[in-house]
Amino acid sequence: MRRWIPYILLVLIALPFLVMYVGFFMQAFGEGMHLGIIPEKFGFSNFRFLWQPIAWGLGKTTIWVTLLNTLIFACVSGAIVTVVCMLAGYALSRIEFKGRDFFMILQLFLHAVPGHILLIAIFFLLFYLKLLHRIPGVALARASLEIPLGVWIAKGFFDSIPWDIERSAMIDGCTRLQVWYKIFLPLVKPGIAAVFIWGFLFAWHDFIYVYTLLPGTVKLLSTLIQSLIATEVIDYGYLAALSVFYMVPPLVLFVYLQKALLKVPIFGGKGL
Amino acid sequence: MISVTLKNLKKYFGEVRAVDNLNLQIGEGEFMALLGPSGCGKTTTLLTIAGFYKPTAGEVYFNDRMVNDIPPRSRNIGMVFQSYALYPHMNVLDNIAFPLKLKKQPKKVWRKKAVEVAKLLQIDDLLDRMPAQLSGGQQQRVALARALIKQPQLLLLDEPLSNLDAKLRIVMRAELKRLQKDLGITTIFVTHDQMEAMTMADRIAVLKSGKLQQVGTPDELYDEPANVFVASFIGTPPMNFIRGSLLKSGSSYVFECEHFRILLDEVVVQKIRRFPVTNNVILGIRPEDVEMGRGEIKGEIYVVEPMGRDTLVTVKFGDVYIKVLTSSTVKYSIGENVSLSFKSDKVQLFDGETEESLYVKGRDER
Repeated sequence: MRRWIPYILLVLIALPFLVMYVGFFMQAFGEGMHLGIIPEKFGFSNFRFLWQPIAWGLGKTTIWVTLLNTLIFACVSGAIVTVVCMLAGYALSRIEFKGRDFFMILQLFLHAVPGHILLIAIFFLLFYLKLLHRIPGVALARASLEIPLGVWIAKGFFDSIPWDIERSAMIDGCTRLQVWYKIFLPLVKPGIAAVFIWGFLFAWHDFIYVYTLLPGTVKLLSTLIQSLIATEVIDYGYLAALSVFYMVPPLVLFVYLQKALLKVPIFGGKGL
Repeated sequence: MISVTLKNLKKYFGEVRAVDNLNLQIGEGEFMALLGPSGCGKTTTLLTIAGFYKPTAGEVYFNDRMVNDIPPRSRNIGMVFQSYALYPHMNVLDNIAFPLKLKKQPKKVWRKKAVEVAKLLQIDDLLDRMPAQLSGGQQQRVALARALIKQPQLLLLDEPLSNLDAKLRIVMRAELKRLQKDLGITTIFVTHDQMEAMTMADRIAVLKSGKLQQVGTPDELYDEPANVFVASFIGTPPMNFIRGSLLKSGSSYVFECEHFRILLDEVVVQKIRRFPVTNNVILGIRPEDVEMGRGEIKGEIYVVEPMGRDTLVTVKFGDVYIKVLTSSTVKYSIGENVSLSFKSDKVQLFDGETEESLYVKGRDER
């Protein structure tokens, strides 16, 4: 009996979260709900947005346009984060220059600044750069928030490559840039995947930047869900189904990239 | 092939003087070892020659050309690292051919050359393998092949043998030496293992705390060490040192310490270049130059270590311990009282203050 006590305690602690998840999936896949959690039957009617246009305000949109917008937004943001962090991470890991330590501490400090307080400044910045109301522009702004910590992540991966490998490549005739893309990039594939996921996920989940900096006519999944909450009658089943749909792409990406994330090369030689 | 000259080379890292005013000349086709304990500046010197470190002061010359400002990739050198530093994401063929691919040589050419050099090093059956699938010895050969494929004018080896197991190390020692002689490439070799340096190098430069202690052939370093450090670093088991006084006795000299006094041989006295200001000296004698069984030095056997062909006997005189290498045909036991003598012409004498040798050096007096 005694050995069950820890399990009972753990289940009790986990229960609220489990109920939340169960309720969420019940809502999405159930029809005719009682007490918000017990469905009369299961079906896919909540997923009708997959084949029907979505009414929103006076207009209409389809899930596929919204999905494409969100994908473009998250991928552009992830790509910007990846390119900048891979270059900066290498430089911070390998090149001695004045103010390097200051720069690295500055990155941590920047990461601590909440993105929301920059909204107004970024609004004007994008406006003057003629990037306001455009997905790539907002993706750039969004990426800049994840770059500070992404640089640190990337630097960690570069730090793990022995100096001998770099020196060896330079002896063999590589310039610094050649060392970076011929030797280091293939070796830090897990780092590339990690940094890309980092940039992608935060952009995918972003609401406030998208909501503020993109026009109401350009919907992303996060703003679409929000707009459905902001109506007088809320169809919770519909909302839950849409949320399930919202979860899928990051999960797929994660599963797809986890191989790369886990594949850590063996450096140098035996036992090193 | 080139000669390498280091002129007043200095490399400081902040306060640390990794290399301190090093002057060294490495001749064309010469096999030079940089020998010293860890932290002596030998790897820093090598990395400065390779061009990874800029000297704080002084110059590096390849032949007559000052190369301080030439980046490593343009120096036409080959280098083998202690960790071998193979590229883990390329197979053996690509690893070996990498320097040629960077030069944009056509596939036909680099493939042919890679196979050639792989054959030379007997790894041509491993070309499809990845580095992680190779043994340490195989990895080392790949690293060597990669260093040799571009026909460098200078080969730098950074402790290339220290990651191999003891048996393979002895095999590779001989092979590397033979290869270097066959190819005739000027080679600089860093090691902390005096045995490796002795067996492989044409000449050895001994470094300590960034300062050059002595340069010479293995025999010179062994027979005429410039100071106590070199004498203690070269040779296994290491030289015995006894502190004492150098006294004039009639027309000859006597070494005297607490436990015994010996009359110095005429040969030894002839070699003394200068006498120390104080009579404080250190006498050095190699274990194989001590003879057991007779002589005026009397002691007690402290420990006996059989080593097969020889036996290493430690003899104790008061607080002085002397290691003696004797033939294993005579058996000794702990506590036994023995007398011994030093081969009189093999005795080394060092200044007790500066630890410099008191002898005239065959080479530097020339």
